[in-house]
Amino acid sequence: MLEKKSLPCLLRPAPVVYLVAMCRAVPVNDLLDRASQRSDKMHSLSTLLTQEMDSHFPPYGRMQMPRPADCHTSALQTPNDKEQALQVSESDLMSLARSLLQAWVDPLAVLSTSAITLPHPSKSSISSKIQELQEHSKSLGDGLDILSGKMGPSAQAISFLPYTGGTDLGQDRVTILNKFNFLLSCLRRDSHKIDSFLKVLRCRAAKLQPELC
Amino acid sequence: MKKVGEVVLLWLLILFIQNAAGEGYSPPGKPTNISCRSPEKETFTCWWKPGSDGGLPTTYALYYRKEGSQRVFECPDYKTAGKNSCFFSKNVTFVWVNYNITVVATNSRGRAFSDPVDIDVVYIVKPNPPEEVVVNVTEDKDWPFLQVSWKPPKMADTRSGWITLFYEVRLKLENKNKWEEVSAGQRKTLQIYSLRSGGTYEVQVRCKPDHGFWSEWSPSSRVKVPEYFPQERSMWILIVVFAAFILVIFIWMVYMNFHSVKRYLLPPVPGPKIKGIDKQLLKSGKSEDIFSSLVVSDFPPTTSNYEDFLVQYLEVYVPEERELIMDEGKDLQDDSFKTENSTCDNDSGRGSCDSHTLLTDKGGGDKEDGQQSDQEGSQAEADTKSQEEALEEELLACSHENLQSSNISNEKEKVKSWPSLFSPLPQYSLSPVNRPNPPKTGQQHCLSDSLFTPNSMPSYFTQPGPSTRKGFRSNYWECSFDHKQSHPLHPQSAAHEHLQAQNDLNTAHVDYMGAPLDVHVLNVRPSEYVEVQRVSVEDGVLLHPISPSQEDSRTLSHQTEDYSRVRMVNNDNGLLLLQRDAIEEEKSMCPYQEDVVSRASITPTLQNSVTGINTALPILDEMAASGYIDTATMFGLPTH
Repeated sequence: MLEKKSLPCLLRPAPVVYLVAMCRAVPVNDLLDRASQRSDKMHSLSTLLTQEMDSHFPPYGRMQMPRPADCHTSALQTPNDKEQALQVSESDLMSLARSLLQAWVDPLAVLSTSAITLPHPSKSSISSKIQELQEHSKSLGDGLDILSGKMGPSAQAISFLPYTGGTDLGQDRVTILNKFNFLLSCLRRDSHKIDSFLKVLRCRAAKLQPELC
Repeated sequence: MKKVGEVVLLWLLILFIQNAAGEGYSPPGKPTNISCRSPEKETFTCWWKPGSDGGLPTTYALYYRKEGSQRVFECPDYKTAGKNSCFFSKNVTFVWVNYNITVVATNSRGRAFSDPVDIDVVYIVKPNPPEEVVVNVTEDKDWPFLQVSWKPPKMADTRSGWITLFYEVRLKLENKNKWEEVSAGQRKTLQIYSLRSGGTYEVQVRCKPDHGFWSEWSPSSRVKVPEYFPQERSMWILIVVFAAFILVIFIWMVYMNFHSVKRYLLPPVPGPKIKGIDKQLLKSGKSEDIFSSLVVSDFPPTTSNYEDFLVQYLEVYVPEERELIMDEGKDLQDDSFKTENSTCDNDSGRGSCDSHTLLTDKGGGDKEDGQQSDQEGSQAEADTKSQEEALEEELLACSHENLQSSNISNEKEKVKSWPSLFSPLPQYSLSPVNRPNPPKTGQQHCLSDSLFTPNSMPSYFTQPGPSTRKGFRSNYWECSFDHKQSHPLHPQSAAHEHLQAQNDLNTAHVDYMGAPLDVHVLNVRPSEYVEVQRVSVEDGVLLHPISPSQEDSRTLSHQTEDYSRVRMVNNDNGLLLLQRDAIEEEKSMCPYQEDVVSRASITPTLQNSVTGINTALPILDEMAASGYIDTATMFGLPTH
C-alpha cells in the first residue's frame, strides 16, 4: 500500500513564516492522477506516430522489421497479464514505470534528430510529435521522482536499460525507416506499460475517489 | 481390335480422371480478414473469413506464435466464439506480447494459408456494452429530468484500474431519428435536462477503454416523461382571450371618441369662405356673379322681417347688462357670449337698449371670443378692443340717440329673442361662415352703437366705472328697455327725458375706456335694427325691431327690405336713421368723427335725421363690405 507522507513544499518559495500555512501537500492520489494523465498522453502520441508512419511506409518493409522482442527494454521483467500485474506491489510498479521512462530518454533524442531528416512525407508532423513526447517524458519523470519519494526506497530503484542502437539509424532509406518504425513500436508498447502501471497505482490509491475506478 | 480397345480404355480412363477432377474439388481458398478483439484485456477472440471451400469439406485451423518463440500453437477453442473464430482464454492470453496468427484452411484437396497477422492484446480492446442501464424520471413534477445510471461490463475490471473506461450516453425521442450524444467521462451516472413534456425517450450507453475501441450501444431503455407543462395550451387560451378583451375595449373607446380621434389625427382644414362669394362662381370667373351675392340688393330691407335682420345684426347693449358686465368685469370676459346673455334679464333685452349697441356688442364679442362660431355672436366678438375707440365714439354719438330710443322698444323684444348678448352679426343674418375682420365688426359696432345703444358703447370700452356710472347705465338700459316694452316705438317724452338724462350721464362716461370692454363687448348686442313702422304725429318714429330669429336663415339676397339704422337719438327727440350705406359710413366715421357723426347729423326732427341718413349712407356700404361680410345678411334699416 502506498505510504502517505507529507510532501515537502518544493514548489512554493514562500517565506518561512507562511511555509506551514500556505504549503499544502498535494495528495498522492491527485499526483497519481496527474501522472497517469501524462502517461496517457504519451501513449496517445506514440500511437499516432506509428499510424502516421504506417500510412506511407512501404508494406514490404514491414515484413523485415525486427520483432518487438528485440526492444532494448525487453530485458525488463514486466507482468504479462492482469493477475501478475495486480500482484506487483506499488513500489515495484512505480519502479518499473520509472525504469521504462528513463530508458527512453536517449532513444527519444535519437528519434528526434532522425525525424528531421527522415525520408518520409510526414516528417515534420512526426518530428513535432516526437518533441512533444520528449517534453511529456521529462515532466512525467519529474513527477514520478516526487511520487517515488513518497513510496519508499524500493520505488526509487531504477533498472538501467541502456540504448545501444546508436545515433545513426541507417544509411539507406529502407533501413532508416525500418529502424524508425521499430523504435516507435517499442516506444508504443513501453508507453502503454507505463500508463497501465500508473493507472493501476491510481486506483489503488483512490480511496477518496472510488468512482474513478 | 486390341489396339482400338486399348485406345478406348485409355480414352475412357482419361475421361474418368477428367471427370473426377472437374467436379469442383479444389484446395480451399485462403482465409482472409483475420480480426481479433479483447473485451477486457484478459482474453481475446479472433475471427476470420473463410475462402472458397473448393467443394470439399474444409477445416480451418488457427495457429499462432508468440514473439520471441518459434513454437506454434493452435487455437485452443474454436467453438466459444462461434464459427470461424478462435477464442483465447485467459490462460493463453498474454499482454504486451505480439501474437503472430495464421489461419489455415484444409480440405482434401489441399491447404490454404492466410496472411499472418501480428496483434498485441492491449491494442485490440473493445469492451462489451455497459450493463444495467437504468433511466429514471425524477420525482420533481415541475421540471423533471432524466437520471441515467449504468454499470461497466461485467468482464471489465475497472476497480483495479486494469482497464479504464469512458462512457457515452445517447438519447432520442421515440418517434424521431436524431440521436443526441452526451459524454459522461468515467462517471457512471448522468442527468439529462430540457425534456419534452410527455415525450418518450430511448437511452443507450456505450463505453471505450482509454486506448481501444468503442463498444456497441447498450439496448435501448425507454422512459416516458410526464406532462409537466400541462398549462401550455390553457395558458395560450388565456392569453388570447385577454388580448381579445383588450382589443374590444380599445375598439370601443376609439368608436366612442371617433370624432375626437379623427379630429386629432386629421384636423379639419378650414377652407376659405367668404360669405357671399360662391366658389363655383369663382371658378367660372364671372365677377359679376361673384360679387352679386355680396351686394345686398334688398338693403335696406323692405320686408317686414326686420326682426330677422336685427337678429343677425349686432346685438344691442343693455345698460343693465353692461353694468353687470362691468361688475363682473373680466370675469365675464372669459365667459362665453351666451353667458353674457344669460345675465340679461327679460326686461333688459337687447332690444331694450334701443338696439344701439348691436354693433358694439358684436365688437366686444369678437374681442372676447373671436372663435365663437355661433351665428349670433361671432362677429360681434371680434376685436372688441380694437373697436374700443370706435365704440367710444359711438358711445358719444349714441348717447344722444339712445335717449330717444324709446322707439326702439321693440328692440327689446328683439333683444329678448337674442340668445346671447353677443350674437351680433349672426343675427345680422350673416351666414355663420366666416367672421373675418374684427376691425370691421368693430366698425359695425361703432355704427350700431351710435345708432342704437350709445350706452352700450360706453360699456364696451369703458372699464367698470364707478358704481354710479354703472348704475346710470343700468338705469339707462332699464329705461330703454322699459321703453321698449311698454311703448312700441312710441316716443315718450318722459322716456326721452330720462334717456336724455342718461345720455348725459353716459356721455360723461364715454371717455371711460376700460378693460371690461371685452366683457361689454360680449354683452354688446349686435346692432339692432329697427324698422320704422310709421312716423308718429308727435315726431316719433315707430321703430319695429327686427326679430333676430327671422334673420337667421336669411341671406342677404332675400332681404328685400331696406333697413335704416337708427343712428342716434337726438336730444330733441330726433332719430337719426341711417340707410345701409349711411350706416357703413358712419361706422367708418365713428372712430374719428364722433362729433361729426353724432352731433352734426343729429337733427331736431326726424326729417333731419333722415337726411342724416342719406349722408350716412355710404357708411353702411362699408359696413356691409367690411369685416363680417355676409352678403346674405347685409341689412340696413329701411329708410322712411
